[in-house]
Amino acid sequence: MSFRYKSALLTLISLVAAYAYYFVRVAAGVPGSGAVVLLAGVVIATVVIQIVGLGVIAATSADRYAPMDERERSIDRRATVVGYYLPIVGALGAAATLHLGTSKADMANAILLAIVVAECVRQAVFVTLHHQAG
Amino acid sequence: MLPIANSVRALREARGMTQSELGVAIAMTRQTIAAIEQRRYSPSLESAFRLARFFGVGLEPLFVWDDSER
Repeated sequence: MSFRYKSALLTLISLVAAYAYYFVRVAAGVPGSGAVVLLAGVVIATVVIQIVGLGVIAATSADRYAPMDERERSIDRRATVVGYYLPIVGALGAAATLHLGTSKADMANAILLAIVVAECVRQAVFVTLHHQAG
Repeated sequence: MLPIANSVRALREARGMTQSELGVAIAMTRQTIAAIEQRRYSPSLESAFRLARFFGVGLEPLFVWDDSER
């Protein structure tokens, strides 16, 4: 497995784990400004996991300094195109929540969910396409 | 499988090279070399020329359109 494949997998797993925890907690109901503190904790935890994980992956990957070649750039573009549409749909969905009488916090969480899902899908597509060649 | 067959694997093995070594020689990753050999990826014209020049052959013997795949 290449450095880029492993790092994309790490990003995908850490995002899914961290934000699944956040959204489950928020859906269960977090009182007052607890959601902001929870989100800050999730962001910090994700950053720490990424830094430590990428350090470990880089230390064990001989190709860590190799630039993307044309096939990887092509995979990256395809993954980005797929991920691009999700925040748009999410933003429209978040705007639509105004008519449902939801709060500002719900709207913000809807936008955050769209961004997180978009990045997860982008990483998942990258991992899948990268894996196909073996 | 893509319709363009190639002899990259045969030429690489004839030189006793690994996919990684060939990748380093022509600025590609091992995974991309594997994808080309398995006909899962068609390289750009520039990379095809780079491969052909590396092996000292022309483009046509290295990459051949395979009608049986269509």
